[in-house]
Amino acid sequence: MDKLVTRLLRKNTSKARIAGFILSNFIGLAIVLGGLQFFLDARTIWTSEDSFIRSDYLVVNKKVTSANTLGAAQSGFTEAETDELRSQPWVRRMAEFTSNDYRVLAGVRNGDRGMSTYMFFESIPDEFVDVPRSQWLYRPGDSEVPIILSKDYLTLYNFGFASSAGLPQLSEGLMSSIPLSLTLTSEDGTRTRRFTGRVAGFSNRLNTILVPRAFMEETNAALGSDHPSLPSRLIIDTSSPGDVAITRYLDSHGLEAAGDKSASSAAFMLRVVAGIVLAIGTLITILSLFILMLSMSLIMEKNRDKIHSLIMLGYDPVTTARPYCAVITAASLLAFALATAGVMTLRAFYMESLAGLGAVPSPLWITLCTGAAMTALIICLNIMSVRRRVRKCFNNC
Amino acid sequence: MDTIDLFQTLPRVFESEQIPASDIWLNSARFTRGGRYLVEAASGGGKSSMCAYIFGSRTDFAGRILFDGEDTCGFSIGRWQEIRRRHLAYLPQELSLFPELTAWENVQLKNRLTRYASDRMIGDWFERLGIDSRRDTPAGRMSVGQQQRVALIRSICQPFDFILLDEPVSHLDEENNRTAAALITEEADRQGAGIISTSVGNHILLDYTSRLKL
Repeated sequence: MDKLVTRLLRKNTSKARIAGFILSNFIGLAIVLGGLQFFLDARTIWTSEDSFIRSDYLVVNKKVTSANTLGAAQSGFTEAETDELRSQPWVRRMAEFTSNDYRVLAGVRNGDRGMSTYMFFESIPDEFVDVPRSQWLYRPGDSEVPIILSKDYLTLYNFGFASSAGLPQLSEGLMSSIPLSLTLTSEDGTRTRRFTGRVAGFSNRLNTILVPRAFMEETNAALGSDHPSLPSRLIIDTSSPGDVAITRYLDSHGLEAAGDKSASSAAFMLRVVAGIVLAIGTLITILSLFILMLSMSLIMEKNRDKIHSLIMLGYDPVTTARPYCAVITAASLLAFALATAGVMTLRAFYMESLAGLGAVPSPLWITLCTGAAMTALIICLNIMSVRRRVRKCFNNC
Repeated sequence: MDTIDLFQTLPRVFESEQIPASDIWLNSARFTRGGRYLVEAASGGGKSSMCAYIFGSRTDFAGRILFDGEDTCGFSIGRWQEIRRRHLAYLPQELSLFPELTAWENVQLKNRLTRYASDRMIGDWFERLGIDSRRDTPAGRMSVGQQQRVALIRSICQPFDFILLDEPVSHLDEENNRTAAALITEEADRQGAGIISTSVGNHILLDYTSRLKL
């Protein structure tokens, strides 16, 4: 039964028009899916490497000038200045960096040999640090402290200091496994406390040595001189990273954003470009949807009498629409399969160079699900329109 | 389905015109199952319109058409298709055959939907109506008379309570007319069905129980 119906209703099917739909749908889907997959893959260059601080966080400090050195200008932020900054529209949340108010001596033991250095700590509220709570936990009384180090410090040691001083180079992994012995002494030298430091990670974006806030508060209270200094750095959660208003404000107030600025603007650019690509792809996909609808309505218009006759014989509209629905489904699935193959091929081309930049391959399923959803939408809309057209043939007056 | 009632029906195109007295238009007419009705009219009197209104393929009429007392204007598409497959057979004047399909395929297109007649039965009908040799000829290449016989066979490939025949023998000679009449009568008798036939003069030779003027 269906064979005869199919033979009847497929007459006047234009292979060129169907091929046109498959081609345009393929191009549209390939652009959308390719763009999406590239975005997902490339995004990891800026996000996965530094999981401690989100890319839309901004670390701000005052520019150091000779006036600072001579003591004529404040390098810390006054309360009025922080309030003004807080009121900017692009500031979602803001917090101050707290510094240690005591001396810190950190040492590493390596067999009989050991070395030690003076250093400093800073802390920011824990909600700004993107590390699982279990790894960034300090409870009063603990003897072990998690620390996040700037990656630059390790680089400086490995390639600047270690090679010239004949010391062994340290990898991130090794560094994380070596306990640091920390000796904290108050300014007057009367009080001392000892801790073990554990490196929880290295950050590209934070130019500091970070400890949990709870630890900072406890040690400052125990060893501090009770002369709190003004905060010299602020961390800002921006609502619109890459906004020119931020750059303009910072410039006019003699401030500078620390850390890897290019990362946030590059991530922003990636998002903008991906957005444009996705929009173009979506537009082409929508146009292809209309090409299919139009060619289907053309075929059905040509076969209108036949459809009417079939309905008069007692065929129900769903059965009558089936040959067209089959064409729609097959063509859409073919375009989707081609687009998927296209994305895989494209990915094979760019993934190697992207991996060289530090990207971690993102799973394909997000892209495939998006493609499947778009294809399902195209199929559904077209089938609905075909069925509506068939039902219209029911009353031929 | 036991009765078809036409109540004050009139094609909308006739509404502004003065129409001659009619047994159907602007009147009450009842077709009962088992009856043999001949509806006669001059050309342009609206026979085909009446068939199309009863069959539900056109709705451009005033008045009401009732099946077993139920107004057909409220029927869903599904209900109509069920009626067209099981209760109401129709041989339209324009035949509505698919010219690119063979005579046999045209009949099968209907029969595969209703699964009513066996291939042997259909073969037998082809033989009786003298078109057995045209089985595999595309309908478009057959004469109108032959096409009329194919369409007639197609129309009885289903169970029915009523069969609507719109000028079924307009292109048949008397011998074929008698054969067709015998075939239709046989099928209608077997199912206890009613026959409603229209004609402008050359009518199918049945024992009519009632003649109506349109």
